[in-house]
Amino acid sequence: MEQRSDTFLDNASEALKNVEQAKRRDIIATFAPLMRSAAIEGFDEFDTLRQHVKRVREHALDHLEYYLGQFEQQAVQNGNHVHFARNSDEFNSVVLDICQQHDARRVAKGKSMVTEETGLNSFLQRAGLEVMETDLGEYIIQRAGETPSHIVAPALHKSAGEIRALFQSTHDLGARDLPETVDLVAEAREVLREHFLKAEVGIIGANALVAENGYSMLVTNEGNGDLCANLPRVLIVCTTIDRVLPLAQDATAMLRLLVRSATGQAQTCYTSFYSGPRRDSDVDGPIETHFVLLDNKRSDILDSDYREMLECIRCGACLNHCPIYSSVGGHAYGWVYPGPMGSILTPLLTSLEQSHALPNACTSCGRCAEVCPADIPLPDLLRDLRHEENSRKLSAGRWRLGIKLHGWLARHPKLYQLSTAIAIHTLHLFGRKRGSYSSLPMASGWTSQRDFPAPQGKTFMQQYKARLKRLAEQRNEH
Amino acid sequence: MSTSARSEIFARLREISRKASAERIHQDRQALGSAPVPTPPAAEMCEAFLANVLKNQGSVDCVANRTEAVAAIGHYIYSHFRSHRLVAGNDPRLAAMPWRDAGVLPRFGRLEVGEPVALSFAQLGVVETGAVLTWTGKSNPAANNLLPEHHMVLVDTADLVPDMEHAWGRIKQELESNGRPRGINFIAGPSSTADIEGQLVYGAHGPRKWHVILMGKIPAEALSRARAIAAP
Ligand code: SF4
Repeated sequence: MEQRSDTFLDNASEALKNVEQAKRRDIIATFAPLMRSAAIEGFDEFDTLRQHVKRVREHALDHLEYYLGQFEQQAVQNGNHVHFARNSDEFNSVVLDICQQHDARRVAKGKSMVTEETGLNSFLQRAGLEVMETDLGEYIIQRAGETPSHIVAPALHKSAGEIRALFQSTHDLGARDLPETVDLVAEAREVLREHFLKAEVGIIGANALVAENGYSMLVTNEGNGDLCANLPRVLIVCTTIDRVLPLAQDATAMLRLLVRSATGQAQTCYTSFYSGPRRDSDVDGPIETHFVLLDNKRSDILDSDYREMLECIRCGACLNHCPIYSSVGGHAYGWVYPGPMGSILTPLLTSLEQSHALPNACTSCGRCAEVCPADIPLPDLLRDLRHEENSRKLSAGRWRLGIKLHGWLARHPKLYQLSTAIAIHTLHLFGRKRGSYSSLPMASGWTSQRDFPAPQGKTFMQQYKARLKRLAEQRNEH
Repeated sequence: MSTSARSEIFARLREISRKASAERIHQDRQALGSAPVPTPPAAEMCEAFLANVLKNQGSVDCVANRTEAVAAIGHYIYSHFRSHRLVAGNDPRLAAMPWRDAGVLPRFGRLEVGEPVALSFAQLGVVETGAVLTWTGKSNPAANNLLPEHHMVLVDTADLVPDMEHAWGRIKQELESNGRPRGINFIAGPSSTADIEGQLVYGAHGPRKWHVILMGKIPAEALSRARAIAAP
């Protein structure tokens, strides 16, 4: 996918101008956290579960060579072809080769962020294949020629009205009103059902790979992924090498975290495990099945200080709880993965040069780390990336100078306290009457959106010291 | 596939991965134990299962035996489709049901496009999630779960397991004795989507309705209690 992360600030300003979309983002940012809280309420051991799954993930990543090997061996034994790809180009070529070997013309595709990452759709389309996304959200944005704005709910930036107009103009089904959301869903169902029945190849992602038995786990509510996995002649499961878990029950333990964190449900409608091609006793199912496992810098991440990021289960909770994401939306981040997880993954999977604005899209409020079911210290990783940005001189010179000055001052507490006391006192004197400032030198970015309250006169340290002194005096009196 | 991609990835992982014998790795995983399970909504298994099925937007019937089961199935099909026809997988347990008593006309096999309702006999019902489990094979073609407008599932109370860990225990017995089925499907509700403005709609791609018939020894009050638990 084409990347526009380097213009994050401009993208964000642009996004803020779209009032309708901003309103919808506000609604999501209000409801998604409530649904998550309701889903984990009463599950007293949720945090114990989170720690258990984290230990299992860490164990699996510590022994990734072993578990990936075990998975491959089991998957081959189950009758699959297993392919590995170092990067997006290799990945896309493997998938295209499979399609071409079967003279496929139509591909039905389930939701997969990995294939967004490699730009698989456009690659296959350039080779003449008709590729149809079948997850309703993905289908909508594919029709609209857009990219996902959220990793779980890719089309939430669009209104029902926009989707209605889109369907009316792109589905050749004559005059119709489609007044309600159910009508829109029904129409998409009809159009996609036909495609499912005609497609020669189905492509799905995987939420986990199970090393002990070679099954892959697929979690959906719509059931579209299952149709992709069961109706076409050929099935290709596309995922990354880090998704392997040791045992089948590890996958369903992770599921307990994933579903509650993603949609606020206790269970999705369809949780399916697929092992390979049609067996002798089967009356349906694909006759040939493939796994394509992508590295694309995962092994680099595994070998870095950011390895915890590989434990991400793509639930989207950090997006739903992030004040920046809910203000500017997913497209502003300029690549596949938005929000806090995206601000870490994008620099790691592309380059910090192209995306160093993203780790700065953080208020350090810590909500993402609090809700992350994989217990990833997201704000710490973002800070480490900012640190790297600074030491590799990627940020603007004046920023680095400012940080340097601040760092120096912070290491000289006496001077720091003196200078802040002078500044606060001055602001107090001049702002006393109005109570706030509508503009300030060197802080115009801040004051352009809000007023700066005039300080009360004393800094925190001054008040703290005065209090200590008072307490000491009282103690002496006693 | 380029074999060099495979060998390069594995070589890299070998460098990074911790060195240990397979036996040691398995011991380490065992030592991590198993995951905590959420508390069920009721202590009694049938009641808890029914409550979770209802929460998953399923509809339910409770029956004591096979005669009552076919009657309930016949009633459901007739009230929704004014028909006595139904498609069911080639499951010997289903073949042995007294269909004629209820005037139901089952066809055993794979659902064809246009047939509106299919019946599956679940291998298990999972109390924790209110899910039913089927696996693909002669007795349950995948199309029967996915393509009908209404999917009916019969669950024997003897096949209820408390949680996913117990479900895997039972599935592993099957894998060992009969090999690995192509697909293992946990189904917990009608197909749904909230992709348009977050509004929940049923029948996204798969069944619009999901009807569970629990059969066996069920405490008298189980269903009414389950309804009270599931009520919003
Ligand atoms: S980083 Fe955590 S919260 Fe964010 S998507 Fe990944 S698992 Fe979910």
